[in-house]
Amino acid sequence: MLEINDLKASIGGTEILRGLSLNVSAGEVHAIMGPNGSGKSTLAQVIAGHADYEVSSGTVTYMGENLLDLEPEERAREGIFLGFQYPVEIPGVNNAYLLKAAVNARRKHEGLAEIDAFEFLKLAKEKMALLDMDPKLLNRGVNEGFSGGEKKRNEILQMAMLEPKLAILDETDSGLDIDALRAVAKGVNALRSADRAIVLVTHYQRLLDYVEPDHVHVLSQGRIARSGDKSLALQLEEKGYDWVREAANG
Amino acid sequence: MKPATLSYDALLASVEKLPDDGLAVTRRAALDHLHKHGLPTTRHEDWKYTDLTKIVDIGNQFLDGQWDQPTSQATGDLVNSIRDSIEADWLVMSNGIIDQESIAGLGQTGISVTRLSEADGEMEFSTPLSDLNAALLYDGLRIHVAADAALTRPIGILLVDDATTSPGMSQTRIEIELAASSTASFIEYHASSGSADHYANSVSNLKLGDNSHADYVRIQERDRSHNQTNRLTVGLGRDSRFNHCAFDFGGRLVRNDLTVDIAHPGATAAFDGLYLAGGQQHIDNHTRADHRVGPGISHQEYRGIMTGHARGVWNGKAIVHDGADGTDAEQANHNLLLSDKAEIDAKPELEIYADDVKCSHGTTVGQLDETALFYLRTRGLNEHEAKQILTRAFAQAIVSKSPIDSIHEMLTTKIAERLSGLMQGVEA
Repeated sequence: MLEINDLKASIGGTEILRGLSLNVSAGEVHAIMGPNGSGKSTLAQVIAGHADYEVSSGTVTYMGENLLDLEPEERAREGIFLGFQYPVEIPGVNNAYLLKAAVNARRKHEGLAEIDAFEFLKLAKEKMALLDMDPKLLNRGVNEGFSGGEKKRNEILQMAMLEPKLAILDETDSGLDIDALRAVAKGVNALRSADRAIVLVTHYQRLLDYVEPDHVHVLSQGRIARSGDKSLALQLEEKGYDWVREAANG
Repeated sequence: MKPATLSYDALLASVEKLPDDGLAVTRRAALDHLHKHGLPTTRHEDWKYTDLTKIVDIGNQFLDGQWDQPTSQATGDLVNSIRDSIEADWLVMSNGIIDQESIAGLGQTGISVTRLSEADGEMEFSTPLSDLNAALLYDGLRIHVAADAALTRPIGILLVDDATTSPGMSQTRIEIELAASSTASFIEYHASSGSADHYANSVSNLKLGDNSHADYVRIQERDRSHNQTNRLTVGLGRDSRFNHCAFDFGGRLVRNDLTVDIAHPGATAAFDGLYLAGGQQHIDNHTRADHRVGPGISHQEYRGIMTGHARGVWNGKAIVHDGADGTDAEQANHNLLLSDKAEIDAKPELEIYADDVKCSHGTTVGQLDETALFYLRTRGLNEHEAKQILTRAFAQAIVSKSPIDSIHEMLTTKIAERLSGLMQGVEA
């Protein structure tokens, strides 16, 4: 589904990704771990199409297409979802309005009619119940005054409504208490399916106790330093990131 | 350069042509006052950014011409469409002439409306433009809300101008008084049609009795080639409440002055505004709150969105006089500039002569939040849609604060339409 080959990307003249390669297939859950500054979030932003990041070489192919040619909104309509590390507060834009607009943008792209208002509300309330979200949040401004946990749940709600083919969750677990972490994990697990891929970008192993990955990659200095199965995450937890850095440099 | 000035002889001739009614003496006094003090130029601090030369020019051409009330079908249609779209008891003035039928048709109890010329003819004039207004006023309205009355429907004040022929100028004046413990809401609507040059000068005075409550929304949707100056002066009684919101969508050169006087304890004034401008529009909002006693509250927030070569001016002044302890004054002004050539001159001014006060001010000027734009795009909205949503949200914050809930939806629609026009780049 997603093939990244020797990707180099920089922001403001500083190279962050230095030849990163990664293959993600449908049905898989990948965890991308690594210390701060290793390029985890940059990878997520580049896949979503943030204009501040400049790709100097390498390729990113999604569903057989050159992803780097697409605008962020085209990527979204093609089924890519980025769950933000810091979900943006947008006062004055109704949460339900954005959710519906996002769903309809995707449906329009797929040649489907706009979602029925009643069906939309029913679906949203169902998903919110799964995530233990207060239904009132639907009628607030997007993330406006939400707690950290509510913001992350709101990202998962958007994901659940959009049913992406490829979901990238950028540090969705950071700053969550155990209840919120469980709720988020429940939302992610509910979306696991044979035709969907999920990439979890995370600093800690904690989330992986709840969402079991098929593959774990460790990023160091803009490259994948080590790949393995879920046991790699446990090893990391035990030995710390220095272990990977040393291995990468050695 | 000699400042542009209205011809005194032409003014005098026009004043003499007006009816010999209850206003005659005041008109002459106002004319003398205007003649003595003249009109402000950009050398006056309060008029630094707003040049009246064009308006003076239109005024002189108008004074040289014939005093004819134009009545085109377009204006009639405009009046009807506004009356149909907003639920209110409408008082209508066209080119400064009162529509007598609209007064007669007023059905609510607790309110009385009379012509200024019928009453004692007293008018306040303290500034050059209110001098001009009083001198050339054909007639104005006095609205009185009886003590303890609670009006159920908003009073609409519709000020329309027809500029289908020759340069035009109009003066309108409304004197409103709310007696003690009364409640009323007002919608002051400015509109115009026609392609000739036009200048409209309106003056309103609002006196709030003790414990009374007025909601007041001003909507200005003039043709974008027409000019206006507008002044609203508000005096607040003890424990009275004044909620005001102003929306400027149209006009070429627009200057609004809002003066709030808190001379009795316990009064609360909230006044907010939104200005949307593109092309060559120039929209200037000057506000002034005088806190003469405490406790008292004045909170204001103005927001502007400008594109093309538009220029916005916001000057908010709060003066906390000696002894006005317990004053709470807040000023905020936020602006979005959507083009390189658009401009805002924002100036908060706080003068504090009392000790125990709570005052704050804040001004921001910026572009749309890039992170929010990206966020919306990752949810499948294209760049144009994302920008539209963010600018609407920026403007909507003022609608949410605006009193008179029944017109929120209408305002939201108008804002969306105006922003859509501004953002298509046609008004560069």
